[in-house]
Amino acid sequence: MFEVFEHTADLGVRVEASSFAELLADAASGLSTVIAGDLDQVRPEVVETFAVPGSDPAWLLFDFLGELHAAFELRRMLFRDFAVTVTDDGIQATARGERYDPARHVLAHEVKAITQHELSVERSAAGVLATFIVDI
Amino acid sequence: MNQITRPSFRGPLERIDDVTLRIPRSYKPGMLVDGTIFADDRLLPLIQGDQAAEQVANVACLPGIQIASLAMPDIHWGYGFCIGGVCGTDPAAGGVVSPGGVGYDINCGVRLVRTSLTLDEVRPLIVPLVDQLMRDIPVGVGQGGRRVFSPEELRALMQEGVPFLARLGLATAEDVACVEAEGCLPDAEPGLVSDRALARGADQCGTVGAGNHFIEVQVVDRVEDEAVAAAFGLRTGQICVLIHSGSRGLGYQVCDDALRALREAPAKYGITLPDRQLVCAPIASPEGRAYLGAMRAAANYAFCNRQLLMWQVREVFERVFGNPWESLGMTLLYDVAHNIAKFEEHAVAGVHKEVCVHRKGATRSFPAGHHDIPEPYRAFGQPVIIPGDMGRASWVLVGGPRSLERSFGTTCHGAGRCLSRTAATKAAQGRDIRTELERAGVIARSRSREGLAEEQPAAYKDVDVVVDVVHRAGLSLKVARLTPLGVIKG
Repeated sequence: MFEVFEHTADLGVRVEASSFAELLADAASGLSTVIAGDLDQVRPEVVETFAVPGSDPAWLLFDFLGELHAAFELRRMLFRDFAVTVTDDGIQATARGERYDPARHVLAHEVKAITQHELSVERSAAGVLATFIVDI
Repeated sequence: MNQITRPSFRGPLERIDDVTLRIPRSYKPGMLVDGTIFADDRLLPLIQGDQAAEQVANVACLPGIQIASLAMPDIHWGYGFCIGGVCGTDPAAGGVVSPGGVGYDINCGVRLVRTSLTLDEVRPLIVPLVDQLMRDIPVGVGQGGRRVFSPEELRALMQEGVPFLARLGLATAEDVACVEAEGCLPDAEPGLVSDRALARGADQCGTVGAGNHFIEVQVVDRVEDEAVAAAFGLRTGQICVLIHSGSRGLGYQVCDDALRALREAPAKYGITLPDRQLVCAPIASPEGRAYLGAMRAAANYAFCNRQLLMWQVREVFERVFGNPWESLGMTLLYDVAHNIAKFEEHAVAGVHKEVCVHRKGATRSFPAGHHDIPEPYRAFGQPVIIPGDMGRASWVLVGGPRSLERSFGTTCHGAGRCLSRTAATKAAQGRDIRTELERAGVIARSRSREGLAEEQPAAYKDVDVVVDVVHRAGLSLKVARLTPLGVIKG
């Protein structure tokens, strides 16, 4: 589950989930929603895989979101459904979506970058809680 | 999406004079200098409304910082550095350079284009003019430009800046002369710009982008200083065009790459930071030099982006008004950077030294006589262009007499946000911002619903108040006020 929190010029996303893998998937949905607005307009036509090495949870989140952001910036890929597996040396993820079609998609925001400002992953009563802020 | 609210600042803000506040160095451990915020009592509640002042205190902890951690009256919460922040560091005193002190949008900035057209000539054609601007100029998320530059061309563009476009016939010598640093920061190192950054930038030079970027048709509604306005070629009733954009995806990626490359630098150089987004490296270090080289390359790309946007604006005006742009008097007043780090000579405690001035949402504002001001303006001071919001006003100022002593020759960069994007969206529910603007005499076109809702006039402080503060502080002085007629946004 994710929610957007206020940040004067940018947008923050807070995510809470029962496991780190679920948290990463929800965070990815949060980022996609910031970019695309309504994810119902994105068809799950293609599947892409992402592998992010590392062990620090905050950097894994940061780098995973960075890869998804790069997929839009470089290849105009929009994603909506995510599944993540956490391993000893990083994460493996699959994402379903399609290429941006200006005739059909109305996008919400140009995300300049995922920032490190207030980036955090910590334990919570429900499992794991993360925050990240995107620069708009 | 649910929303949670933002925290406010509860630390000390001591009033020094009617336009200056101080955060004393004793506020938090690690502060090397005081924080100084230029603001009057009208702006104080807005400044206390988010964490920007805390960020001013955090920046005061950076090694080698000189005089004070400064913030302009349009200050608001950023990431690491506040927006509206200014920080000068001394390379000879272990001073650092911080990518966060420049921001993701390296050399985001504005330029103002004059015309010889009057309000009476443009008013009847404003709707077709704005619609043509929207059709012909790439604006919004995912909109590529007309030109796709190869990696080799991009490297040449980043090395040479706007003079590269002059060689292609897309800039005149007069254009080049009226860009800060003449459109080219020296010592750029395009070879240090990553392939990913090149890919993001290949088709984006000559595009507006989204967020707070725009192109706006304006009219000069009031002249405050006749002599300076005449020197700047401005008069009441004159039509101008304001262009606001930056280094697009290329610059964002250069910043992102630098933040990753510098992750371990603070530990390596024994630097303790209160916020990891302040990540930095000594200016003299390999990491610091590499960032500066890539940052300058991205800055030159941004100068070129605004040049190509202006060129397209000229073409649209030619089409709509049926005359060559030269006969429409479409000359460049000036182009200024808002997000940049530059080495400049400044007096610190009576000693002249080279300082690395980070301006993050702040504008250079050199006073009359400074050698870096183009010759036609030098006797008056540097033109400073302050975009407001799309419903109220923007300003042309001139570098003020106290800017060098008070702020490393710097002033504000805009109105500054006072509502978050989420709050602005909430405030726009059930309203039609486009129709509201049209009733107020502003034709607005946007690619996205969010573009107008999040950027509505109420999301910004009153630019007249912000400008009044920098005027009274002597950082820059009022020359002319411009009001919007039409705007295109992402």
